Amino acid sequence: MASRVDVAVIGAGPAGLAAAVAARERGAERVVIIERAEQLGGLLPQCIHNGFGLLYFKRDMTGPEYEKAFIDMARSRGVEAMLEAMVIDLDAERGITAVSRRHGYMKIKPGSVVLAMGCRERARGALGIPGTRPAGVMTAGTCQRFVNIEGYMPGSRYVILGSGDIGMIMARRLTLEGAKVEAVVEIMPWPGGLIRNEVQCLHDFGIPLLLEHTVTFIHGEERVEGVTVAKVDAERRPVPGSDRFLPCDCLLLSAGLIPENELSCRAGVEIDPVTGGPVVDQNRQTSVPGVFAGGNVVQVHDLVDWVSWEAEAAGRSAAAYADKGRLKRADGVRVLPGKNIRYVVPQFISGKDDVTLHMRVTRPGLKATVKVGGVMWKRYRTVRPSEMVILEVKGQALREAGVKGELAVDCEIRGGD
Amino acid sequence: MSALETEVLIVGAGVLGAATARELSRYKVDVTVVEKNVDVGWGITKANVGVVCQGRDTLEFRPEYHRTRLLWRALPLMEPLCRELDVPFKRVGAYLMIRDQVLKEKLDKLARRTESLGLGSDRYYPYPELKEREPFISPEIKGGLHDPEIAVVHPVYLTQALMENAVANGVRLMLETEVEGIEAGHTEFRVRTSRGEIRARYVINAAGEWVDRIAAMVNADDFVLFPIKGYVGVLDRNCAELAGSLLAVLPEEPGDMNIVVPTVEGNLLFGIQLQINRRHDRSTTDRMARKALENARRIIPEISEKDIINSFCGYLMFRNFEIGWHECEVAMSARVPRFINMTIGYPGVSASPGAALEVVEILEKDGLKLVPNPRFNPYRKDIPDFSMLSEKERKALIKKDPRYGHIVCRCETVTEGEIVEAIRRGATTLDGVKFRVRPGTGRCQGGFCGPRVARILARELGIPLTEVTKAGGASRQVPLRTKQLLEEGGGDG
Repeated sequence: MASRVDVAVIGAGPAGLAAAVAARERGAERVVIIERAEQLGGLLPQCIHNGFGLLYFKRDMTGPEYEKAFIDMARSRGVEAMLEAMVIDLDAERGITAVSRRHGYMKIKPGSVVLAMGCRERARGALGIPGTRPAGVMTAGTCQRFVNIEGYMPGSRYVILGSGDIGMIMARRLTLEGAKVEAVVEIMPWPGGLIRNEVQCLHDFGIPLLLEHTVTFIHGEERVEGVTVAKVDAERRPVPGSDRFLPCDCLLLSAGLIPENELSCRAGVEIDPVTGGPVVDQNRQTSVPGVFAGGNVVQVHDLVDWVSWEAEAAGRSAAAYADKGRLKRADGVRVLPGKNIRYVVPQFISGKDDVTLHMRVTRPGLKATVKVGGVMWKRYRTVRPSEMVILEVKGQALREAGVKGELAVDCEIRGGD
Repeated sequence: MSALETEVLIVGAGVLGAATARELSRYKVDVTVVEKNVDVGWGITKANVGVVCQGRDTLEFRPEYHRTRLLWRALPLMEPLCRELDVPFKRVGAYLMIRDQVLKEKLDKLARRTESLGLGSDRYYPYPELKEREPFISPEIKGGLHDPEIAVVHPVYLTQALMENAVANGVRLMLETEVEGIEAGHTEFRVRTSRGEIRARYVINAAGEWVDRIAAMVNADDFVLFPIKGYVGVLDRNCAELAGSLLAVLPEEPGDMNIVVPTVEGNLLFGIQLQINRRHDRSTTDRMARKALENARRIIPEISEKDIINSFCGYLMFRNFEIGWHECEVAMSARVPRFINMTIGYPGVSASPGAALEVVEILEKDGLKLVPNPRFNPYRKDIPDFSMLSEKERKALIKKDPRYGHIVCRCETVTEGEIVEAIRRGATTLDGVKFRVRPGTGRCQGGFCGPRVARILARELGIPLTEVTKAGGASRQVPLRTKQLLEEGGGDG
């Protein structure tokens, strides 16, 4: 690279775009996004459904509209982008190695780095579904790309394993394409995605949602011919005798998203085993100085609006770091997930400033109270693992409570599940 | 259509057929290979875990067995062969381990026999010493006998390389050509295939899984085969450090084959609970998967379910299973002259170079003139593996062909250049590309690169995307255009 890069952003999805824009706004001179795909936007271009931007833009937008709004901002702020460029290495001193057809083999040493690689879907192998290995088994997101970007259909009769948001959205999309969706099969007693998707994508189209069921076998030699579906017990093991055959020519998988942190690991970034993403402080700085992270690479969000906001924080911090060559860590207090809380991000906060805590509960419940140590509490009518709980905590309240060292967050349920 | 005439017809392009074809390509002999699949090495070969062994881990390893002689002969050939063909070969060594001190006697016996046969001196390491060499093994293990000779190869890569080299040396390869019937004449065989008749003086039956069916066509099936399968799990590369060698537990019951083994690519495989099987059934079951994981964790407790990125069924054909001992054969049929059966079953990959030599000897003895092929070139260059190259090599490659700067598979760092080269060398399907240059074999299992590889295939082959298949036949990945179902009023919705 000819001149110095202040902030390098890895990934041009909603997180990368927002981080780059924020870094420019915070004064970083040269901000470069490195993106492996052929276009900006990450997965947004294939998310042609609505429901984006309700919080951020106060408007109901489609994925491509949301993406365009951010691409326009990035253009007008002078963010640079390299497409079809893949970062193959990131070292602990922020040294980036990337390759692309156009730029060849590149070494970049930016002032700071924002990790914005997003997440990937859990594949068949990771789910360990027994059976044969025919064509017609793919993740819901891959199917979404084929249908919405490429203009092709992998089949005409579907079963969807997992009720993640992409799976439910694809159930509706495929139905609108004239295909038959036999069922969405979910191993847990509650759906994996948002209530609004359960209602708008499944109920409104009469697509059965089989809770506490799983696919126990894939049939078919060359192409999928059907799957065996069975009820599961409390240990999530198939109940003998409850199995039945569902004919289909395609099995879509929507059973979990995994933050994509191979590069983070190469740089030696500490990973939270629960979120699968980097451990970050309030500024979204990772354990490696000058390396920041935001969006689904840190934690899998429900809404893109929060991806943008989180990445903006990372982008601003990255600009500040690039400017001074350092940024004081905002990690005076460690936030600990307590009762019925699976994780809290950020894992470290300053303990003095206003902070937004993102968390997920372990079990669903009615009439829940989320307590942040002795600092504050908030009541919720319902809490569900699939819907992120987001709490704003005032710096003043933290200071007044004199929080030091550790801060536990608990969720108490009074109304049962 | 007039019949194709050839001197030697090889039925099946698995590792045995390919090794035989390549061995014969040293001579001026007209050789044709027919394969019913769209690609080579997709039968039993693909279901092999790729361990190159001598078989000295079992007391049934007796010099009087044909299988033993084949392996003895084949083993020293494998490494030089892999070097000539530029395919990865990794001598990992193996520990045959025991969990019960009582079984130490059995290991001693094995070690004594290996020594008396002049094959080397395998050393026994008690647990504390073993742990120094393989730090992740379970404390349940009492010790292990080290066999330094054991190596691993990738069976499909080896087969592709053998076949590529054979074709370069003049062998004719016909894919998607299924043998439908064989008529044995006095001087030649008339072989009916899905692509017309082939007349051949000799038929080499290397049909792997279907070797008995092909033999039955001429009444040369004087043996019985039993299909056996076993679950194999594939672990993420981040587990590579868990085992540096093949770790096997001395079987405590028949069929108890519990191993953890590194692959040439740096993943670990684990398995394999063998069980008698229905023909052609390669499905995994939940029970097999759980049992295999449980057993693997008794070797290395740190192996975790969440690190399994894939699984498949190892599959093989045991010959004469009913008499309790698997014997293999490379021989001219006693009933049908000039018809040679190759029933190796296990371990076919290890035995393949030796088996190929035996076929050549049988042909020569029968009177086939073997004049050296002056054009024979034993060398073949592999497709460049971008992920393994140095910085300097990467730069040079991208400069030569910018498509090597375009990474398509992010998990395994596979470039467009490699994919295009795989297609040039004969890949016509998604699995064909995957089994040459690995896109989609990493942790995301093709979620990101699948659609992109399909597009490159369609472009390079000049076919519509709807015709791109996973593995030929009806396995089209995206058989329909959008709106097509609505226009045809298809589906029930």
